[in-house]
Amino acid sequence: MDFGQFISYIASGTIYTVGVTLIALPSGLLIGTMLALLYVYGGKTAARVMNLYSTIFRGIPPIVLLFILFFAVSKGINLSAFWAGSLSLGMVSSAYQMEIVRGALLSVSGDQLMGARAVGLGRLQAIRYVVLPQAVRLAIPPWSNEAAIVIKDSSLVYALGVPEILRKAQLIGASSQRYLLAYLSAAVIYFLLVFATTKLLNMLEKKLAIPSNP
Amino acid sequence: MPKPILTIKNLTKTYGENVIFQHLDLTVNEGDTIVIIGPSGTGKSTLLRCVNLLTRPNDGQIWLDDMEITAKGTDEDQVRQHIGMVFQNFLLFNHLTALGNVKLGLTRVKKMSDEAATKKAMHELARVGLADRANHYPGQLSGGQQQRVGIARALAMDPRIMLFDEPTSALDPELIGEVLEVMRQLSLDGMTMLVVTHEMGFAREVADRIVFMEKGYIVEEGSPDEMFNHPKFPRTREFLWKITELYGKKEKDAE
Amino acid sequence: MKKRFLLVVALVLVAAMLVGCTSESTSLLDKIKDQKKVVVGTSADYPPYEYIDDAGNKTGFDIDLMTEIAKRMGVKLEWVDMPFDSLVAAVDSGKLDMSISCFNYDEERDKTVDFSEAYYTTEDAFVVSSAFTGSIVKPEDAANYKVGVQSGTVQDGWLTDNLVTPGLLPEANLSRYERVDQAALDLANGRIDVLMGDYVPVQALVAQNPDLLIVYNGVLSTGPINIVLPDGDVELKAEVDRIIKELQAEGFIDQLAVKYFSE
Repeated sequence: MDFGQFISYIASGTIYTVGVTLIALPSGLLIGTMLALLYVYGGKTAARVMNLYSTIFRGIPPIVLLFILFFAVSKGINLSAFWAGSLSLGMVSSAYQMEIVRGALLSVSGDQLMGARAVGLGRLQAIRYVVLPQAVRLAIPPWSNEAAIVIKDSSLVYALGVPEILRKAQLIGASSQRYLLAYLSAAVIYFLLVFATTKLLNMLEKKLAIPSNP
Repeated sequence: MPKPILTIKNLTKTYGENVIFQHLDLTVNEGDTIVIIGPSGTGKSTLLRCVNLLTRPNDGQIWLDDMEITAKGTDEDQVRQHIGMVFQNFLLFNHLTALGNVKLGLTRVKKMSDEAATKKAMHELARVGLADRANHYPGQLSGGQQQRVGIARALAMDPRIMLFDEPTSALDPELIGEVLEVMRQLSLDGMTMLVVTHEMGFAREVADRIVFMEKGYIVEEGSPDEMFNHPKFPRTREFLWKITELYGKKEKDAE
Repeated sequence: MKKRFLLVVALVLVAAMLVGCTSESTSLLDKIKDQKKVVVGTSADYPPYEYIDDAGNKTGFDIDLMTEIAKRMGVKLEWVDMPFDSLVAAVDSGKLDMSISCFNYDEERDKTVDFSEAYYTTEDAFVVSSAFTGSIVKPEDAANYKVGVQSGTVQDGWLTDNLVTPGLLPEANLSRYERVDQAALDLANGRIDVLMGDYVPVQALVAQNPDLLIVYNGVLSTGPINIVLPDGDVELKAEVDRIIKELQAEGFIDQLAVKYFSE
């Protein structure tokens, strides 16, 4: 096996790494944003429930949740390793993304909300048209951090047998006895994925920045 | 016969043990400019917030025209459309241009078409002298310009009354004049205005009536001439003397 | 912090209970035959038992064996690759019908899953050339000589763990070869003194080469290996055991050993 074949075998796992990330990250964003809105604007009880949710899911190692969902919960519903892995990571990420969005909402809210209400906008309108557009911009830098974490955490689904980058590196490392090269190749691919993502989000942040004089 | 636009009766507001004001009565007639003066912490700003329903009073009633807006089941959003509010810290929407700020209420609350809203918003911006800044973001405007956008934003909703909560307190001295000039013009145009300010020059020149508030009570109210030249109470005289002294000094410093 | 830990423990317990409560009432064998498909897990990172070839396909001793077993069951074989540590849980939770991955019998594992009859017992052998003048009475004696082994095999692992790591055998005196026949060549040439390998292929090697002889054989590196099956499924176990015995009697498994444990 030449070097090109070696690398391309490991790189063929990228589709799963990207796939898992593309399910976990957006589902986490959707759930996280809805929960953050409930947390900030839903009153005391909702805030308490959301706080519990956040504490639980941030307190469980992702791999434990992965095993619970794949080996225990999915006995009834037949969830594939790929979906069980992606959804568990999405759940864990939703707790972190909720905190990110909540922080952004809180730092925009207050005065901006009052300004909007004074014009006659309803509460939901004020959130939708005034608070959220600004919160999104504030959330991008910490969100880019979370995206990097999810890309890297996607390697955990290897434990369920999803043939992503890490598992492919293990397999080819074992058969060729070139473990170091295999893991280095995996590291480079992960790095490139994280680097590209962070770079893209950085560009998005600049593009969306609100113009102001220095 | 003057027509009352805003009527406040027996209004009380407390925060726990802390009484902000109590048993307050005040009437603002159509076309009047009322200036509320008084030391800090006497409940002037809280009074404006009660009128705009941003804060709920503990007791008493407020009428806007013939409608009691403190009544249970009042649609707050509906009421606020008819009351323009200008804040000390402007509270412009940071992510929108000056035009966007003025348009938002028109498109989302009044449900105007984009075209009509733009036309109306440009008209209001021109009224405060900022037509050429329509596409600037708040971060690209001076404090005085931002406050003028704030005024245009409130005016665009065609309110029955405009509330001003210390509109020039956060401004550098050289920027105060442009805002006061816009307000003076508004008053001349016949807008009904309730203004909380420390600008005694504005009060003396523009106000139809001046209300002196202290420690949660209205101590005295009257025309600028009565208040500045023949105050009935020593407290009023004392306060006006002090603030004029301070104001004069500031003006001198600014020169 | 403590609360959080307790929470995790509680969740894992709940999960464990879920796993424990549900029990299969009918045999998986019926399902396998009905669907004409058996789902088998392996951790394809353990040459020569299970690994991937240059094309990325699974190959190895266990792979060929399982392919034959499925053939004789008359069903299609569907492989699921999974890290070794996850395989038992996957069989236990019904994600896999069975798993073959060089499993040794283990009392702890036996509590949650069943084991088939051993399909192979890895016996290890030490080979020397007729010119060898030393003596190997017990396996550890090999440490006094230049030893050769096929790289990455269980014998390589045994030598490394039991002789090299404790400092008995200097690393320089252990030569690792791509293939066993290369080691045999060096043994005949006198470059190494002792060759350690799997007993079955080594026997074949000695039979071809009259200069070589086996001086010690015994179970050192791996021992008996079994297929992991769902707990308490008597019918499935009987079927798998039957086929294993058939294959042993036909010499099929020894042929596989020669194929995979010497080249």
